[in-house]
Amino acid sequence: MTREIAVVAFAQTDHRRTTDELSEVEMLLPVLHEVLDRTGLRTSDIGFTCSGSSDYLAGRAFSFTMALDGVGAWPPISESHVEMDGAWALYEAWTKLLTGDADTALVYAYGKSSPGSVRDVLTRQLDPYYVAPLWPDSVALAALQAQALIDAGETDEPALAAIGARSRTDAAANTHAQLSGPVPHGDYVVRPLRTGDCPPIGDGAAAVILAAGDRARELCARPAWIRGIDHRIEAHGLGVRDLTDSPSTRLAAEKAGAFRRAVDTAELHAPFTAQEVVLRKALRLGDDVCVNPSGGALAANPVMAAGLLRIGEAAARIHRGASDRALAHATSGPCLQQNLVAVLEGDPR
Amino acid sequence: MPAVLKAPLVVEFPFTRSLGPVQSAFLTGLRERVVLGVRTRDGRTLVPPVEYDPVTAEEIGDRGGLVEVAPTGTVTTWAWNPEPRRGQPLRTPFAWVLVRLDGADTALLHALDAPGPEAVHTGMRVRVRWAEERTGAITDLACFEPYDGDPAEPAGHTGEFADPVTGIVAPARLDYVYSPGRAQSAYIHALSGRRTVGERCPSCHKVYVPPRGACPTCGIATSEQVEVGPRGTVTTYCIVNIKAAHTANLDIEVPYVYAHIALDGAGLALHGRIGGIPYDQVRMGLRVEPVWTEGGRYPDHYRPTGEPDAEYDTYKELL
Repeated sequence: MTREIAVVAFAQTDHRRTTDELSEVEMLLPVLHEVLDRTGLRTSDIGFTCSGSSDYLAGRAFSFTMALDGVGAWPPISESHVEMDGAWALYEAWTKLLTGDADTALVYAYGKSSPGSVRDVLTRQLDPYYVAPLWPDSVALAALQAQALIDAGETDEPALAAIGARSRTDAAANTHAQLSGPVPHGDYVVRPLRTGDCPPIGDGAAAVILAAGDRARELCARPAWIRGIDHRIEAHGLGVRDLTDSPSTRLAAEKAGAFRRAVDTAELHAPFTAQEVVLRKALRLGDDVCVNPSGGALAANPVMAAGLLRIGEAAARIHRGASDRALAHATSGPCLQQNLVAVLEGDPR
Repeated sequence: MPAVLKAPLVVEFPFTRSLGPVQSAFLTGLRERVVLGVRTRDGRTLVPPVEYDPVTAEEIGDRGGLVEVAPTGTVTTWAWNPEPRRGQPLRTPFAWVLVRLDGADTALLHALDAPGPEAVHTGMRVRVRWAEERTGAITDLACFEPYDGDPAEPAGHTGEFADPVTGIVAPARLDYVYSPGRAQSAYIHALSGRRTVGERCPSCHKVYVPPRGACPTCGIATSEQVEVGPRGTVTTYCIVNIKAAHTANLDIEVPYVYAHIALDGAGLALHGRIGGIPYDQVRMGLRVEPVWTEGGRYPDHYRPTGEPDAEYDTYKELL
């Protein structure tokens, strides 16, 4: 059995450095309401709800159960959670809709990085025997990858600066972006990466609604049909991998059908400038593809929501007719360890 | 709106982890100043060694797959870290490096002690600097240091040790500045004035105490503030017979009663200790009031008011 499944609505917060005045559910609630309002659906109409978040970010145990307060989960709803980026929650919801158990799904993700030190928090996802005891922070690991690319002649510091500049320039048209307009390349954080090569640290949330078949056509004038979606992971040992390539992205893209026909838009989850270089190569994106018109993760990187944001941004472009076939990518783990690729299409106009 | 509340929050765990046979041999080797790799079926030598082949998932464990490699090697990529962070291998600026040790086909992540970024490049030769005190952990390898000699010759260690380490204790600490958000901040502010203020759902009109900012039934924001109590009704309770280990509770004698208390006007019960009455006389419907201690930021416990017990029908929805 095959079902057509589409992203029919997308909403996000303004992404900000801090949201001290809001709890996670208080930050999330307006986004849930906005995405439901776009379709006219209420919680009780939703067949399946799935979320992505990590308690480690804000140091708040079982925060995802508190966040569920914002959904209205009574009478008990069909619900699930992944301790991953919301893009993987969307993958779970997509499979749920494929089974025919549900016709609509609410997918949301949020991340509050401001209460903690996200560079250190992310070390806790690393191999606990050989790597985590050294506390190599997320910028350091990305810098090792960037240097490998420079050594391989695949990029240089001016090219990386240009990726950052292009992203923040494009983000000027994105009112939700945290960092936009002229941003200096700055000093080294961990060489060769400078402040401008790194994503802003901040808080934010995103939500999308999926619907199947005719339900999608009822809820959205131009649904963003998910033509394919797949995710793949590489070995956890950094020294086992070729950091200048991303075979997992390439394989996920193949399985998602990304190479069958050219895409006009790609929303890539590349928190660090050098990672865009790797992804463009793995996804064979030419210069004619509009990459990260939203500004991407270099303009707003609410951890755990930034991947779902890529799918939402790509879908929103299809909704409003700015794209006909878009690729959305999400990543997880250090140095693009795990990658998800979705191919979205709008009906011919 | 009252000022945003903030407080430091430290999350700290000593993670105790057991080791597989390969990890045990590798970390025991570091204690003995021996670096071991593991040989895969296709002839690659993996350092650091893993229990399963990262490509084929084949078990490559402890059946003769261990092989000693040299404590010297070559940098495959690096990154200069000008500001070492807590827990990292060196306190002075250093380079993160992936090092392919002589005899290995994969690279190991660690720190390189070098005077500055100009002294580091991909392809440079390095050697292990051992920690003075070694316990069987990745940190037994203190760091790498520049080295311009020939590759060291491994002695051919088999990976058999008399006293292998079987586990590690990895302490982890993360520091946060916690802020509870709008609704809980307002609740805590009110408590500082010895008032209990909940929030009403605009849809189902239930009053949440303490409020968390949203009605979990309706999924909408609560905002109308409603003072409840101070008196309330015990809706259900339990008798605690085990002394709490938490230091704040050490002076509470067991047995004592811990109860669900529906404050007057609240749409759900909160919980608290019941005092001022023998534990075996506490009952459902008992009317209670909060007891504050000097400087206390929340009620220390609740005690009987002396009123007649509440009728069951008045609190049956609040159990």
